Amino acid sequence: MSDVLHAILHSVNIVILIYFFLINAFYLLFTVLSLFGLFRHRELTTYISFKEIFRLPLVKPISIIAPAHNEEKTIIESVNSLLALEYPVFEVIVVNDGSTDQTLGTLIRSFQLEKSRRVFRKVVDHKPVKGIYTSPSHPKLVVVDKVNGKKADAMNAGLNISRYPLFCAVDGDSLLEKDALLKMVRPFLEDPEKTVAAGGVIRLSNCCMVKCGQVQEVRLPCNALARFQILEYFRAFLGGRIGMSMLKSMLIVSGAFGLFRKDIALQCGGYRAESIGEDMDLIVRMRRHLHNMKRPFEIRFIPDPICWTEAPETLKCLARQRNRWHRGLLDTLLHNKSMLFNPRYGITGLFAMPFYFLFEMLGPFIELLGYIMFAACLALGLVNYPFAVLFFLVAVVLGTLLSLLSILLGEYSSECYPRRQDILILTLFSLLENILYRQWLTLVRVLAFFDFYRGKEEWGAMQKKGFAQAR
Amino acid sequence: MNPSLIIAAYSLLFLILFSVCLFGFIVIRRLVLERRKVQFDRLYMQIEKDILEAISLLDPDFSLGVARKYGRHPAVLTRVLLDFGDIIVGEGRDQLRIIFNQAIRGRCLRGVASRRTTKRLQSIRLFIIFFDPAESAFLFRLLDDKPIIKLAVINALARIPSPETMRQIFKAFEEDTGFTVQAYFNIIFGLGSRTEPLVKAFLNKPLPVDKLGLLVELVGAIPLRTLYEDVVALAGNPDKEIRIRVARTLGKLLIPETVDTLIALSSDGAWEVKAQAVKSLGRMKNLKTLDVLERSLFSPFWYVRYNAGYGLAEIGEEGVRRLKEVAGQEEDRYARDMSVMVLNDMIFPGEAA
Repeated sequence: MSDVLHAILHSVNIVILIYFFLINAFYLLFTVLSLFGLFRHRELTTYISFKEIFRLPLVKPISIIAPAHNEEKTIIESVNSLLALEYPVFEVIVVNDGSTDQTLGTLIRSFQLEKSRRVFRKVVDHKPVKGIYTSPSHPKLVVVDKVNGKKADAMNAGLNISRYPLFCAVDGDSLLEKDALLKMVRPFLEDPEKTVAAGGVIRLSNCCMVKCGQVQEVRLPCNALARFQILEYFRAFLGGRIGMSMLKSMLIVSGAFGLFRKDIALQCGGYRAESIGEDMDLIVRMRRHLHNMKRPFEIRFIPDPICWTEAPETLKCLARQRNRWHRGLLDTLLHNKSMLFNPRYGITGLFAMPFYFLFEMLGPFIELLGYIMFAACLALGLVNYPFAVLFFLVAVVLGTLLSLLSILLGEYSSECYPRRQDILILTLFSLLENILYRQWLTLVRVLAFFDFYRGKEEWGAMQKKGFAQAR
Repeated sequence: MNPSLIIAAYSLLFLILFSVCLFGFIVIRRLVLERRKVQFDRLYMQIEKDILEAISLLDPDFSLGVARKYGRHPAVLTRVLLDFGDIIVGEGRDQLRIIFNQAIRGRCLRGVASRRTTKRLQSIRLFIIFFDPAESAFLFRLLDDKPIIKLAVINALARIPSPETMRQIFKAFEEDTGFTVQAYFNIIFGLGSRTEPLVKAFLNKPLPVDKLGLLVELVGAIPLRTLYEDVVALAGNPDKEIRIRVARTLGKLLIPETVDTLIALSSDGAWEVKAQAVKSLGRMKNLKTLDVLERSLFSPFWYVRYNAGYGLAEIGEEGVRRLKEVAGQEEDRYARDMSVMVLNDMIFPGEAA
């Protein structure tokens, strides 16, 4: 009996070890690819003047859709940031998704909004619109007041009301850099037929100084949780997404900042109203649709354009956010499970979807299994202590190395933090995140799995502090 | 010792070493870059001051002196020349050319053959800014380089719009495929009306749809009004994309003789063509188009109704009268709502003013 148990434990340990090496090998591969991607991007943009894009007659107009639910603290700065964007023709559609606070009232007062009798095509379904507001003083701004749905529902309302062939999805609490759209539209100019979506970099605005909707001074957050998240965002955007984009396997264009072709999004039926992770869901369904149509396409990640957003600073808010993200991942993967390992869907079916399934969806379980196995071996007195200690240290240092590589990517992409000591602080946090923070996140993601199966639909509202104002 | 333990120990050692080196590299790189930036900025300001003096003195000897003084700092001098070369023209640029020829021309010649694309692009840009007609053969040879270099050369050649460079640009446009085709639009657009004979010739050539579409768009964007007949001839093209672009271009050229073509396109089988034709008809501000626009307000296609509504609004008093009529009828609520929205929108700017 003890031999059988021994053999089982040994086999499971081997599986976990193989998994550990595979996942880290992939992350290293993505980081190396990202480094090449960044160099190539820098070469390409050396002779491109983004100001020139401004006066090109072929630049397509863009509808910026910003769903907002209880964003009274940040909405004015966000809308100001959107209205101040440098782009030839664009409109800003703020969808007030049944806010229970003063989001709509604040918007009406600040932008002198008046009710409009605007008509729109209801191409995709959404909850009823209570009113559309326009502003004589800000003709680019349209505010839609609707009954509360999810973010996807609000995006669908925005899609119906939008007038332009490209739409940019942004969060109601995000700030875009002035030239973000000019940079983001480049792939749509270079290859207007094939490019269907593009994503940009998201950075955290906690503690940064904001003036007139623009980040004036970049600072490292004072909050430890936000600092851990900086490393995660660096790894995800600079390490992961550039690499995935180079492998033509990008499955996520962040809902906080993404540019899409409206016709393709509408052909897919817009956002799936009941989806939890609407950003990933749309991209996966776009991919499926285009593969089915046998149309060549490109989904690009552009490391230049930057969107600033506020990160949760309490464990409770962060847990809610990550719970929703993981439920969104599960929902999207299960909803599109027919694509998994399906050669009909090319690299999406054979690499991207399996990668997300094996390493992103099952990752927390395997990690938790590792901790349980360690506890079991400890109880049974089967732990090889020197090896366990060494393995733990290898895992910590490998995690730190990946973070350092993403900090290096940040340095190359000029998305670094300006003070020298910030590098030291981030390195320190990349060591610290392996202790407790990582294990806690694993647990949150595992619990999200059970919440998903219980049918939990909670969005996970976040307490906003608002942006720090520069003088 | 257990082999797995040895592997783990060596892995740990390697990872620690690698991480420490990487950390050191990041910190040292930052320090070096910061220091270099301070030096660069200081030198840049010095060179800028001397170059401004050279431009105002227009004394070749002084310019030669500047070239000799800063010849040992080619990177900064290159940056300054790139920045100033773009904005200074006439005799001032001649002084810059003297500095370029004396100080960094040789280096740029080597740079053109460099393995680093950025360096090659930079060198090509300088060669183009300080273009010497005797060197055109050298530049045209670079058109055989990889796409990004070729595009940079063409981009740069567009700054010297001689018949020969324009012929080369159009030749490259004809030969190139893929994403670079779109870039030609911007390049040719920048050349303006002097491209007219070449655009005319190419409109009558059997070109792929994407290239033909771009040329049609160009006619409207520049605009090349004398080519309207060539564009009208494409109104019957079997490809929907071409017909859409024809309708859009005619709406930009605003030639009264093309109204009938647009009216014909407004009853095209494809709704996208209809919508574009109706939009262009609105821009024509021609009373002949009133009936077509009013009829289009009752179209089953939202975009056609939308464009017709705003088209009528653009026509002025008579258009507004028609809009009010449609807004007052009850038979087609979609046409009514669209008219109401357009009328509503017209009130808004009035109030703001």
